[in-house]
Amino acid sequence: MTKSKIGRLLSAGSHPAVATAATGGPAADYQWFFRAMATPCEVRLECADPAIAGAAARAAEAEARRIEAKFSRYLATSVIGRINANSGNETEVDSETAHLLDFASRLFALSDGLFDITSGVLRKIWRFDGSDRVPSPDRVQELLPLVGWQNVSWKPPILKLPAGTEIDLGGLGKEYAVDRALHRIGEITAQPALVNFGGDLRVSGPRANGCSWKVAIESVDRAGQAEGLLEISEGALATSGDARRFLLKDGIRYGHILDPRTGWPVVDPPRSVTVAAQTCVEAGMIATLAILQGRNAEAFLKQEQVRAWCIR
Amino acid sequence: MQLNSGNGACLRQTLATLSLGLLSATLGEKTDRAYAQAQSQPDSPSGNSGQLIPTSKELDSSILFYQEANGRVRAIEPALQYTAHGPDSQTFNLGVIADSVTGATPNGAVPSDHTQTFVTPLKAPGGSSTTVTSASGGSTVIHLPPTPGQIAAAALGRQYTTPPGQLPVDRGFHDQRYGVNVGYSQPLGEISLVGFGGSYSIEHDYQSISASANIAQNFNLNNTTASLAVNYENDSSFPYGGVPTPLTVMTPQLKSVSSRGRSRIDIVAGLTEAMTTNWLVQLNYSYGISDGYQNDPYLIVSVVDPVTGEPNVYLYENRPTSRRLQSIYLDSKVDFGPSVTDVSFRYFMDSWGIKSTTVQVSDRVRLMGSLYVEPEIRWYQQSAANFFHNFLVTGQPLPQYASADSRLGQFVGLTYGMKLGFDLTRSTEIYLRGEFYRQTGNGHPADAIGQLKQQNLFAGVDAAYGMIGFSWNFD
Repeated sequence: MTKSKIGRLLSAGSHPAVATAATGGPAADYQWFFRAMATPCEVRLECADPAIAGAAARAAEAEARRIEAKFSRYLATSVIGRINANSGNETEVDSETAHLLDFASRLFALSDGLFDITSGVLRKIWRFDGSDRVPSPDRVQELLPLVGWQNVSWKPPILKLPAGTEIDLGGLGKEYAVDRALHRIGEITAQPALVNFGGDLRVSGPRANGCSWKVAIESVDRAGQAEGLLEISEGALATSGDARRFLLKDGIRYGHILDPRTGWPVVDPPRSVTVAAQTCVEAGMIATLAILQGRNAEAFLKQEQVRAWCIR
Repeated sequence: MQLNSGNGACLRQTLATLSLGLLSATLGEKTDRAYAQAQSQPDSPSGNSGQLIPTSKELDSSILFYQEANGRVRAIEPALQYTAHGPDSQTFNLGVIADSVTGATPNGAVPSDHTQTFVTPLKAPGGSSTTVTSASGGSTVIHLPPTPGQIAAAALGRQYTTPPGQLPVDRGFHDQRYGVNVGYSQPLGEISLVGFGGSYSIEHDYQSISASANIAQNFNLNNTTASLAVNYENDSSFPYGGVPTPLTVMTPQLKSVSSRGRSRIDIVAGLTEAMTTNWLVQLNYSYGISDGYQNDPYLIVSVVDPVTGEPNVYLYENRPTSRRLQSIYLDSKVDFGPSVTDVSFRYFMDSWGIKSTTVQVSDRVRLMGSLYVEPEIRWYQQSAANFFHNFLVTGQPLPQYASADSRLGQFVGLTYGMKLGFDLTRSTEIYLRGEFYRQTGNGHPADAIGQLKQQNLFAGVDAAYGMIGFSWNFD
């Protein structure tokens, strides 16, 4: 910025006695990007003050990182890492973990065992890398005894997994992080905000101009290509299914959604299901349950009277 | 495949209740410090931390009106600034500024109880007398007695007088300046931000060109930013009538040296820390080296009679050619929700003996959805340069350096200001800013002699300025 001549007129101590151009325009649309939970994350804020926008975005990022550090199954230091390492024995968990386990337990019951946080162990044999490496039925049978929340002893706050069983909150954590992060932003500023962690998102409300937020949704065929724009002015959107994760053998496409009861991919699920709901956790759970219905996904969504978009 | 949900949207409602229950139950609790801190571990699986970028472009236009009390300097300064942000945190800015300064400016001489007459070179570009009519800004064109070896066309001068008891000012002060600045910054590899910039400005008798480079690194999850900036500036002064020889008697004759230059390097190291989510603290240290011609070529110092205090002669001022400048700046910005309070402190010292302290407090309050006010108060205090003299005394040894520039003297400056901003639409804002500035200093120093004891020797200013601006954000 070119210095003001008037500043020079007033003192010799290089002091800007007269401030030059004022800062702080109208509410700017700030975007904050980072990577957490193995996915690109985005926070958008309509806030005139960059300091506040930055503080709010940092708080959202910190919340995402906290949840990742606490619940990632890939981290031995996480609560989940400790629980899994301690399978066969009792582990006492903290209150937040207990609430999440309660939630997962209720969902297991509601879904007749379709939603099962112990199913992650099946990924050891199912690698959805676009190849044709479909595991043998024997291998699936070998692992199946390790799967099943019904075998887990959960007497809050004490959790005891059967030896060899592992839990994974991956189907829940990202959505939970979105809701929590938005709440953190709300503690700092009431300005309109959007939190989008890898396509699961929630907004604080409409934008400052009363319009809805426009969110690009990804094409199922060409990674990174925007399929179209979704508009959202309240609540949350969550997507289940991932076009890039599948196996293809003998003309059969094996999606990455596994039925924990059989150990095999769900038959003919939509490639992705996007659901609108009040919270991101709710949207995510409906989307997951829908895709677990396989070819009945659309019927399920219709029955539940959910605003949803399926891509097959 | 069936679910235990029964009919019609029942499962959805159960899920909604469960989800809200989960969130409200966990939000009521404190988050685990252990995990909140685990995020900052460098071996965290996702080391990419966030970056804040405004997605819009911004055009900011403003015009500033400045007026000093007692009919002294008046300035008008329009400015236009364009800023564009790229998708990967690139920032480009381009600004143009112009200013027009007119009015009376103190020439450095002390008041007297007699009329004082000052004769200086003509402000005629190229020395041509045809561009000068007769009187201009309270001064008169005079024919000088022929000087041996000087051509006749140059034998013109400009004369102005100061009535008894008044501060001598040169009313012929008139300046127009045009400036342009450009800057670009972006992240580069592991470095959070690398930037370059440059600026150029030109006046009738002054030119300034500068280049700058800066780097910034975020760490500690973007809570801390360290920055380093270097600015190089090269200025040329080519005063009307040429560059006077320092500490020689003021004359209307053209000087043989037409221009002198100065170069300056400033290094600024900064640290910005987000102390909490709504408290930002910034600390800057700057060091500057300025070498070359630092004089104001138009300023003079009165040499007074040791008994009566009457001016005998006026000498052109002289300042050291070298100057080292240091400052420390501490700023704290707290967001209290409805208002943002900014408190800053600055301490400055240089090799000329000037020490200054600035304390500034401002508070931005949003009154209604689209209106905010920002009252501000600033206190500034500076000690005098060690070569500052209100006057010199006949018969005493001539110091090596001497200046009577009030900006190098001791004074206190107090500013009251108010900014008012109004969002016309979501993407446009109009803002108004007004400030009153008052300098106070000692007009009756203990060493005043004779008639000077009755005069106010302090030449500081009272000033007011207003600014109106319009900014427009667009995609």
